[in-house]
Amino acid sequence: MRVEIFALIALVGACVWALRALPLRMDLARIGAGGALARFFAATGVAAIATLFAASILPEVAAGRTLPALIGSAAVLAVYLPSRSVVLATLAGASAYGAGFALLA
Amino acid sequence: MAQDEGAQAGRAQDIRRGVLVGLPIMLGYLPIAFSFGVAATKAGLSPIEAVAMSLLMYSGAAQFMAIALIAAGAGFWVMVATLVGMSLRHVLYGPSLLRSAGLDQPPRGAMIWGFGLTDEVFGAGLGAIARGQRLTSGFIAALALVAYAAWVGGTALGALAGAGALAAWPALDAGLGFMLTALFLALLLSILKRAQLPVIAAALAGTALASVALSPTAGIMAGMILGAALGTMMRGQNAG
Repeated sequence: MRVEIFALIALVGACVWALRALPLRMDLARIGAGGALARFFAATGVAAIATLFAASILPEVAAGRTLPALIGSAAVLAVYLPSRSVVLATLAGASAYGAGFALLA
Repeated sequence: MAQDEGAQAGRAQDIRRGVLVGLPIMLGYLPIAFSFGVAATKAGLSPIEAVAMSLLMYSGAAQFMAIALIAAGAGFWVMVATLVGMSLRHVLYGPSLLRSAGLDQPPRGAMIWGFGLTDEVFGAGLGAIARGQRLTSGFIAALALVAYAAWVGGTALGALAGAGALAAWPALDAGLGFMLTALFLALLLSILKRAQLPVIAAALAGTALASVALSPTAGIMAGMILGAALGTMMRGQNAG
């Protein structure tokens, strides 16, 4: 295994563990629901996911696969809204994109 | 003695319930993790590197992003900042779970099972607690372990199948390639609130503009920084 890849995996993995496990032992009540730190944590998560959605769909548009991407995104919405399941919506989106890709090929 | 036996039976029941609640997650994780394994080898990672990523990072969105950043040749610290920034949303999962269960202290082993608090495990745990399940170490550890095993196992299968595994099925290959985008959109919907729309708009606009004008990596940094800064400045509104 390459050293840089292992360092990345170990460092990010340690941070993921810290972000998930350590708050279970900390008194997060003092952050306060409306405090700047609470707003930062909440906004960063949402901003990161929105950013990553944009960053992953832009290459689809640039490569001329806009229609399958729209079909896939619509399927995510259509399945998420009634089921509230991230897993099911993801699988539906990927399946719809694959179907759209095959139909348009 | 009878009390010990009762406690043991209760623990076994909690573990069984954890496994049952985790089964739908397992069924969903297997194909997504498989596609991650295939995508990781396509991006030039070895099967060992792909499996190590699932074992140690255990964060689907961050892992898919990691291979995209590695393939794009992004700098080490840009990758770390991006991947950790994506995971900040997990900070409030544990305390939120404890609050829902009416607990001041977490059940035993929290520093171990806490690592398994992914979006889906958190969501499933919250749902089970709402339906009356007690938050015990047996329940949450079993739930987290089932999901973790599926994620690591699926990755190993995909990585061993290799980059060319789906060459004969282009539609399936394309669908699996869209898995990351679909996952991000579904995650966004799962944490979406009306007050966050300006944050999302800023992140989308920042990403698109900087990606086109500079580079995809600059787009990711610009979107995250713009969105987070705007959300932090939004006083009087709960942007989270």
